[in-house]
Order: sequence, then C-alpha cells, then structure tokens
Amino acid sequence: MQLWAIAANTYRENIRDRVLYSIVFFAVLVLCASLVMEEITIGDQDKVVRSVALGAIRAFGSVMSIFLGIGLVYKEIEKKTVYTIVSKPIARWVFIVGKYLGLMGVILTMIALMAGLYITLMLTQQGPPALSVYESWWMLTVELGLLTAWAILFSSYSAPITAASFSIAVFVIGHLADDIWRFGLQAESEQVRQIAGILYWFLPNLSVFNVHDLAVHHLPIPFTQLVHATGYGLGYTAVVLSLAVWVFSGRDFK
Amino acid sequence: MSPASSSTAEVVLRCEGLGKVYRSGFFRIPYVGLEDLSLDVRRGEIFGFIGPNGAGKTTTIKCLMGLQAATSGKAELLGKDHRDPESKRGVGFLPERPYFYEHLTAREFLHFYGSLFGLPKAVRAARIDELLARVQLERFADVPLRAYSKGMLQRAGVAQALINDPELLVLDEPMSGLDPMGRLLIRDLIFEERRRGRTVFFSSHILADVELICDRVAILVGGRLRGLGTVRELVGDRIKHVDIATRVTAAETELPGEVIRRDGDAVILRVGPDDTDRAIDRLRASGAAILSVTPAREHLESVLLDEVQRAAPINQKRLGVLA
Repeated sequence: MQLWAIAANTYRENIRDRVLYSIVFFAVLVLCASLVMEEITIGDQDKVVRSVALGAIRAFGSVMSIFLGIGLVYKEIEKKTVYTIVSKPIARWVFIVGKYLGLMGVILTMIALMAGLYITLMLTQQGPPALSVYESWWMLTVELGLLTAWAILFSSYSAPITAASFSIAVFVIGHLADDIWRFGLQAESEQVRQIAGILYWFLPNLSVFNVHDLAVHHLPIPFTQLVHATGYGLGYTAVVLSLAVWVFSGRDFK
Repeated sequence: MSPASSSTAEVVLRCEGLGKVYRSGFFRIPYVGLEDLSLDVRRGEIFGFIGPNGAGKTTTIKCLMGLQAATSGKAELLGKDHRDPESKRGVGFLPERPYFYEHLTAREFLHFYGSLFGLPKAVRAARIDELLARVQLERFADVPLRAYSKGMLQRAGVAQALINDPELLVLDEPMSGLDPMGRLLIRDLIFEERRRGRTVFFSSHILADVELICDRVAILVGGRLRGLGTVRELVGDRIKHVDIATRVTAAETELPGEVIRRDGDAVILRVGPDDTDRAIDRLRASGAAILSVTPAREHLESVLLDEVQRAAPINQKRLGVLA
C-alpha cells in the first residue's frame, strides 16, 4: 500500500506538472509534422514518415525520462517534502522504488499517448503498423526504464544540473557502446583499450534496445533479441535502482 | 497534576547519550551538533524542548525521526529502536517550516499520508473530516495547498501529524510564524491531545507558550542538555523584582526605587525583592498610598539566557572539539 501511495502521488505530481505538457505538445507537433515529410521527400516516402515519427517518440520519451527523473528525488530533498515521508513507518527503499514506479507510470502513459497518435496517423495514411513497431515500443519502454533508474540514482545525491549531465552522458555513451568497444579493439594504446573496456562493461549498452530500423522497415525483430534485451534491461535496472536505494539510505537530510 | 507527573509513567521517548557530529567541506571539518543527550519523555506529558538557534533542537528531532543518523548513543520511540521504521507507526511528526506537495488539495494530502500508515480508505476519510474540522480547514479541504497561507499550511501539517492518531506527537517549532489565533489553536490541540492521554514533545522559541503548557522542559544550549525539569524546578521561586503602584504626595521628591511609569501623582516603582519592605515603609511614612504590590517571578527566558551565557566558552570550543 505504501509503495502504491508513493507511486500514485509521484504519478499525480508529474501528470499535473505543466512542464510535461510542454514536452507532450512538442511531441504531438513533431509527430504531426512528420506527415509533411511526405511532401518534401524523394524515394520511399512512407518509410521516411515512419522513421521521423518513431524517432520522435524515442527522442521525447528519452527527454521525459531524463528530465523528470533527475529532479525526482532531489526536488523532494530540496523542497523538504521528504521530511514527512521518511519519518513515517516506511523503509527508504519503498520511497525510491515508489518514486520510480510512479515516474514509469507517467512515461508509459506518455508513450501510450504518442503511440496512439502514431497509430491513428498511420491508419489514416499508410495502414496498420507492423508488429515490429509495437515491439520497438516495448524495447523503448525497457530502455527508458533503465535510463530513468540512472536519472534517479544521480538525483539521489546531486543537483539537477549535475544529474542531467551524468544522465545525458549515460544516454550518449550507452548508445555508442558498440562503437566504443570497436574503437577499443582497434586502438594501439593499452590505456585507451582499457578505458574503452571499462566504459563498455560498466555503462549500459543502450544500442541493444535500438530496433528503430527494423520497425521503420516493418521487418521482424528476432524473438531472442527481444528476450535478451528485456532481461538485460530489467536486470540492469534492478542493479541501478539498488544503488540508488543504497545511496539514498545513507543520506542525512539537513 | 498531569498523568505524566508520576516518574513511574511509561517512557515513550528515550535518548541515551545521543550525539551528532557533522562533517563539512573538503577536509570534513567536524562540528558537534549534539552531544551526549540523555532524557526520558513519559506517557501523557507535554514536554518542551527549548534553546537558542543552533542549540541542537532540530538535530535531536531529525535524529529521532530518522532524517539524520546519530553518530553516537541510542534512542527509542515507543519502546522500539528509533532506526526501525516501525518505531514511527505510533508517532506523529511535524517538521519545522513544513513543505508539502503543492499539487495536492488538503484532502488528497491527508489521504496520501494516511495511506503511508496503511489506513483503509474509509478510516482515512472519516479521520480526515474530523481533522480538517479540528484545524479549521474544512472550508479549504479541496483547495490545492499552493494557495494556502503559511498559517494554513502549518495547520495542514498538524493535521497530517495527527492522521495516524499517534500516541506520541513530535512537533518542531509548531508555533513558529503563526499569528496569535494560530498559536492558540495549536496550544488547544496540544492540550486536547494530552487530555486524550497522548504525549507531546515539541521544540519552541516561544517561551511564554512553553511555560504555559509544558509539564517538563529540557534546555539545550550548544548541543548539550543544560537543564531538565518542570518549569517550577527550572525557574524556582525566585522573585526578580517587585513593582509597587503608588499615589505619591506632592511633597515626595526622592522615591525609593526606579520609576518605570509616572502619570501625574500615580507612579509605578520597581524595587529589588529585598528592598520591598523598606520602600513601602518609606512611601507610607511620606503619606503615599500603596495601590498594589506585584512580584515578578523569573521566567524561562532568563533561565535560558543565563544558560546561554554560561555555555558561551563551551560554544566557542564546539568547532574545534574534535579537531
């Protein structure tokens, strides 16, 4: 019940936040604007429209995940609302996990909203989306779950600007993970190889969730890839959330 | 006599050698926030916690409520180790200058805190109506907290502290920033809780209120306990000075005390407690009429100021005590 109460309060707080509506407004704008691409594109116009629209959902989902996540715990500490929560008979992990679930609820709602709009646009323009499009949204959800966990971890001990910088770094490095690994293998310097190796093994490999091209081309996504990526994402998220709980549990509120 | 005045009453809050050392900056310079605090609060008593700014009052409360980890000693809330979240099940807490979720209405806000205690919805709904009435916010129950004044927020905070019908109520500066009506409301609530057999532990700067409502008081200065007892035990029966209201004759030129007010022939004289008889004799001898004689007793304020002065050298050492 406590976990649910904190999650529901977090959901309500973010859903009533005007900042969220600005993000949603721009997302809807970009999704609608993707239709214009049809008019100015040479070649396979349908795929270009799908690419822009699905890319917009990914981009705005990531923006929401990072920018709502980085303030999630910090704001509670800064505004001292946390005082009346941790002084209640609840364990600190309940607070972190509750906040996480509440924010994931918001992100899922927003993805569902954008996905609903995408489906409507496709039905009016190109016909029903392929299964791989739905699967790509599942992969996106798992990816954003991991990204949100990182943002909450950073939010547990640092101010939003620092947390935003770290979260964006994780996002960028995570999407370049395969490139970093390849770069490391080709590097002549032993130190560069070691740094590349550390980055590759310690930071998430977000490229495993990237099935954008398959979805755009309506090609099937291998089932094993879906299962592996889901297992990897959920496992990694559990580790990062545990770290966030550990950091938050040791905090003094001054 | 309150039920708590018996020293055999059950202890609901206990600190034993509680201490907190803060470390700040790159070199982790230590600062003693609280040192070796030991005290017991008994069931049914109103316990006041006073001291100047930086005395360690809020530090103590934050350690007790799990907002900060004590660096030494131990504490119990309702017989349980204060670090155990379950020890808070029977405790209500109002932090200093409370901040709440502004997006919620008072009713939603109280439902939220009620659910943190696992209260069923029907129980919450009934208790919320009762509490909103007690803190006089029933008309604003469905208004978002962002539209509340400071006093209204404080009252909403008191309501959240009472949502679980706590056996022990811990209030950090509950009257801070309130107007006289707000202070009266909080005072009445505290009395009401005591009448219901509850225990109230609160810190305050408003010593007149502490003096008026507390069964026992602890004085904290420089992170150390400097006094503990009933107001009478702390203040004693000492008379600070005596004010004599008199109507003097025109012939009286030299009055036997300090004139603190004069209105024509009506004069209020202030004399020391040992000079009172002599001053009255002299006034009578000169034909003056004695209208009233009012002894002014010592107040907690002067006891606190004495303790602050006495502790000044200790305070100066506070920063370097562990260096």
